[in-house]
Amino acid sequence: MELRIIEALRRLNRGVALLVGAGLLICAAFVLTDILMRRFGTSLGGTEEIAGYAMALATAWGMAFTLLELGHVRIDLLRSRVQSFGRALFDVFSMIVMSGVIVTIAIKAWPVLERSIKNGSTANTPLETPLVWVHAPWFAGWVWFALMSCVVTLCALSLVVRGRYDETETVAGAFAEQEMLQ
Amino acid sequence: MIGYVSVALLGLLALSIPVGIVLFLLGFGIDIFGSSFPLTRGLGNMVWSSSNSATLIAIPFFVLLGEILVRSGVATRTYAALDRWVSWLPGGLVHANVATATMFSATSGSSVATAATVATVAMPQAEKLGYDPKLFSGAIAAGGTLGIMIPPSINLIVYGFLTQSSIPQLFLAGLIPGLALALAFMVITVIICLIRPELGGTRRTFPLAQMLRALIDLVPILLLFGLIVGAIYQGWATPTEAAAVGVAGAFIIALMFGGVSWDMLTQSLTGTVKVTSMIMLIVIGASFLNFTLASAGLGRELTTFMESLGLSPFGLILVVVLLYIVLGFFIETLSLMVVTIPIIVPMVVGAGYDVVWFGILMIVLIEMALITPPVGLNLYVVQGARKSGSLNEVMLGALPYCLTMLAMAFALIAFPSIALWLPNALQ
Amino acid sequence: ETLSVVGSWSGLPLHMQYEAPFWSETLPAASDGKIEVELTTHNQMSLGLGDIYPLLGQGVYDVAMTVADYAVADAPELEGLDVPLVALTADEARAMVDAARPMVDDIYADRFNAKVLAIAPYPPQVVFCNEEVATLADLEGLKIRASGRMTAKLLEALGAEGVNVSFSEVPGALQKGVVDCAVTGAGSGYSAGWWEVSTHLMPIPLGGWDSVVTAMNMDRWNGLDAATQELIAGQLKSEFEDAAWASAQDALVNDIACLTGNGECTAGDARGMTLVEVSDEDFAKAREILVSDVLPEWAERAGDDWAARWNDSVGKTVGVTIE
Ligand code: NA
Ligand code: NA
Repeated sequence: MELRIIEALRRLNRGVALLVGAGLLICAAFVLTDILMRRFGTSLGGTEEIAGYAMALATAWGMAFTLLELGHVRIDLLRSRVQSFGRALFDVFSMIVMSGVIVTIAIKAWPVLERSIKNGSTANTPLETPLVWVHAPWFAGWVWFALMSCVVTLCALSLVVRGRYDETETVAGAFAEQEMLQ
Repeated sequence: MIGYVSVALLGLLALSIPVGIVLFLLGFGIDIFGSSFPLTRGLGNMVWSSSNSATLIAIPFFVLLGEILVRSGVATRTYAALDRWVSWLPGGLVHANVATATMFSATSGSSVATAATVATVAMPQAEKLGYDPKLFSGAIAAGGTLGIMIPPSINLIVYGFLTQSSIPQLFLAGLIPGLALALAFMVITVIICLIRPELGGTRRTFPLAQMLRALIDLVPILLLFGLIVGAIYQGWATPTEAAAVGVAGAFIIALMFGGVSWDMLTQSLTGTVKVTSMIMLIVIGASFLNFTLASAGLGRELTTFMESLGLSPFGLILVVVLLYIVLGFFIETLSLMVVTIPIIVPMVVGAGYDVVWFGILMIVLIEMALITPPVGLNLYVVQGARKSGSLNEVMLGALPYCLTMLAMAFALIAFPSIALWLPNALQ
Repeated sequence: ETLSVVGSWSGLPLHMQYEAPFWSETLPAASDGKIEVELTTHNQMSLGLGDIYPLLGQGVYDVAMTVADYAVADAPELEGLDVPLVALTADEARAMVDAARPMVDDIYADRFNAKVLAIAPYPPQVVFCNEEVATLADLEGLKIRASGRMTAKLLEALGAEGVNVSFSEVPGALQKGVVDCAVTGAGSGYSAGWWEVSTHLMPIPLGGWDSVVTAMNMDRWNGLDAATQELIAGQLKSEFEDAAWASAQDALVNDIACLTGNGECTAGDARGMTLVEVSDEDFAKAREILVSDVLPEWAERAGDDWAARWNDSVGKTVGVTIE
């Protein structure tokens, strides 16, 4: 059950990561176009601003993918010295703390969006981008990350309670079994 | 306060909580215990403004560039070609690790991406050929650090940004020290392997014809370096934009080598997102920690401390070196720079030192921080690419290279022209 | 009382010569030690430029000062504090700022939950060009790096093309022709070595004066007793604001001397940039564009009430009316 949930979330977030990656690729193309156009004496304008937004959104929405791929760096000097039950405890504890922090961030991200809604804020640039357009998806990305953390935490917790320690590690361990870069 | 923070940092890291999350926790801790102001109220703004950065978008671009080179097979070919040329040395393939890292440093702006690239292509070889995992993986971790010394370099972009000094000049200044450091890594490898041959594995020689044929596999990387650096020095692109140029170049090279497929593309993209998010969680956590530390008066504490020492300019530099070594154990490199530059650089420049020169000295010290535990990103990147073995092996293996970097730092202090000769000569 | 104070750019003269001495020595001494100050700067805290006042409003710190223009994302009406080209001397700029003060007070109270305590100037934002320019008309078709929204709009209206380049990348961008001109404070341009990569200096305040607003969190301010409020406001006015303004004109003259070699440079070696004197008719034309295009656009962004208020205060002082 837990493993099936995690598997579904992994597929879902791989899709999200592909979208994020495609966004970064478009951003690179945008920057390149600007460089080329400058050679011909004109310019798209605002690439720096848009690149900043792209980075903020890519970061927010990519976090959950990295989490599910067990990609957030952890130090396992102690963890690697104990048996599978101990490792499972390390993993669950780490996930609980992580969820707490990410939920806090998501909650504190709301005032940023709220302010740009309330003030109708527009970027301090010639583009005058309405900041709601970027703050809203950014906020949603952190909420998504918080949600994913909580689900992973619950799954890991449930596995530990049922004594399936090795499976906990596949859900919330320190390293992915199959490293991506291969 | 620095003491408390260090102890808490070590404790939380030992519990194997993700590094980025630990930085946030420390920030919360300082808010509660070290400051009378409700700093956590600023958390959302800090997360937004530290990730809304056109400078940092160079990170995913450089990572993507590396991913494309790896997945299209270009990296493997480069590694094999360099293997032909350097594996006759005592230490064998370990030299190929350093040489490949040096070459990829010239196309990559990030040490993490460089180490990841080299680790990916080199690790399978180590297992096949029976190398001592310590020295072999240590050389990758250390060689990877050259990514921020040899241009292009994200960290030099950030340094130039924060100190308002010229980024192209910094890039020029990093070139010779970077190459010298690469050479020094190879020399130290030879020395180690002459003393203890069992660490190095077999030395291999190849016929000259094979060596010459291998040269063609180095062309793509050299072209890519020319493209990225050329775009900057021809004035076509800013150093950050040049990363996008590099992505396009890598893509074209991959197309020519026939390594482009739908699978390769999707894996490169998801791989980039994974590595970028991993780095960014740490960068954002570091920015928040930095914000709380600054609010709680770390800057004042440091400045007062340094002034109370009443140092000569040379003494000041020695203390600064010591400071970076100590802080470098615990603080992630980009945050280490961001935290210290506003405090340290004015002092150093005020003492009569050149701001470009100090940038290069700082990069050497930051490179050390990348391979010193407990917080040394390159160690984890290399460990992440390994199938077995503990992190301790990578740490031990990196130690000799760490000492080499320290020697390089002192060489820079004794002979500033190692860094300054090239930018001055080209002016 | 301990006040946590976030200063403006730590490397610039306004902070080093006025802010830092005022907050760390003058005010604590004047209060007989009753007020203690913890001083840092927004760049030392690596705060986002747009976050400085919003965080002040949330009470993250007690006092903050930075360029008002950084906050216009949340308050477009604030652009009216620092309109380019309407104030040529420090005295005129001060008159403009004084006229705008009631507006600024209201904006900070409404938008940032903050009490404005002082407004001091950065040196005016002038134009560095690596291109032969003799008149404002020559800017047409050039790529120019602007700082701030109204300046960018004005440059666009003058036929130039705005390019976004961060401050540290400007020298390289000028040298390689990524941009032809760039706008910044004369002093910042001098100390950052822009004279190495540009030839012509147009010393008109095309970027305005970059007013630096010192403000205190409103709840914190209301929590102080009347005597303390009076002490802080009075000391700030006489020891900080007046002093900073008094030196502003001399600083501009000195910075221009340092960049062009016309006159005596006390800050270091004088450089040899060509000083471009803008003719009266040229200037009148730019003002005309400002009044006919740029300001009405601003009035639309900010809302008509603000335009009317601006006309009655700042507009009267500088002799400009938004139609
Ligand atoms: Na590099
Ligand atoms: Na370290």
